[in-house]
Amino acid sequence: MNDATMENLYLPATADSPEVDFRFDAHELTLKGESYPENAAAFYGSIMRQLNDYLAGCDESTTIKVDIALIYFNSSSTKMLFAFFEALNSAAERGVHVVLNWHYDPEDDTIGDFGSELRDDFSALEFRDLPTAS
Amino acid sequence: MNHSEYRIFSDFVKERRIVFYYYGYFSQTIVSAMAETIKLSMKQADTTASVKRKLFSCFVEMAQNIIHYSSEALTPVTQDDAEVRQGSVCIGHAEGRFYLMCSNRVAANDISPLREKLEPLKSMTLEEIKRAYQDTLRAEQPEGSKGAGLGFLTVARDASKPLEFEFAPLDDHDDMIFYLKVTV
Repeated sequence: MNDATMENLYLPATADSPEVDFRFDAHELTLKGESYPENAAAFYGSIMRQLNDYLAGCDESTTIKVDIALIYFNSSSTKMLFAFFEALNSAAERGVHVVLNWHYDPEDDTIGDFGSELRDDFSALEFRDLPTAS
Repeated sequence: MNHSEYRIFSDFVKERRIVFYYYGYFSQTIVSAMAETIKLSMKQADTTASVKRKLFSCFVEMAQNIIHYSSEALTPVTQDDAEVRQGSVCIGHAEGRFYLMCSNRVAANDISPLREKLEPLKSMTLEEIKRAYQDTLRAEQPEGSKGAGLGFLTVARDASKPLEFEFAPLDDHDDMIFYLKVTV
């Protein structure tokens, strides 16, 4: 699938799910807000399918900018997010340039630590640690 | 209850510094509304941002466990979306710390697996809990789990004391009532 046929994905934030703003045409993917839906596997499942379709069409000439600004995610969302970064890392391993901007409150150790783990596990990603005071 | 009994009840709640208590049905909409009021009361609370975040995180994990695993379900047990199940949750303050308690009925068959999941967490150090969390995060989704098998590890990681739990028998049924206390 090429860029021209890939529809962008936008889901507004709800009380328990983040804003999803995936501009595949601009290679900019953003997740923002809180994530504790009842069924995280269902919520992230459809997002992952579209992400995988998009990544399949990316190659060495692509630079993807990923901005993650989540202020809270529950345990089942954490599992799904890990799979999300795993998919990006696989794309990066075959040459796609992926920049991951990790935005978080510097007082939030949990999200800061999760970022460090992502950096260690997914070394093909260009990880940018961005603590920003709220 | 008459008015004077209600006053005794209210005084008890005040003395015990109960910040929040709910007994009834749990659905995602209800949990999300409770999360909103807990966030508001945390804004006023005289504690660190870190404790507030941990308390909120434990609340969500405990309340969503009730939605997914209480044996008193209004929706069919095979349904895994828009579930409605019964339980209770409480947040209180004692000896300078916040704690959360929750309870729900557990099906007879689920008692042993639940006990086996929780028992080891009581004696693990924070380092061991963090290691188990990292391993589980990287493992395949466990069978029978609607979450990620990470819920209790998340709660244990956020707690400042070992988790406390018990199972109380029912007079007329093989199910038991599960009680969990988490101090943050």
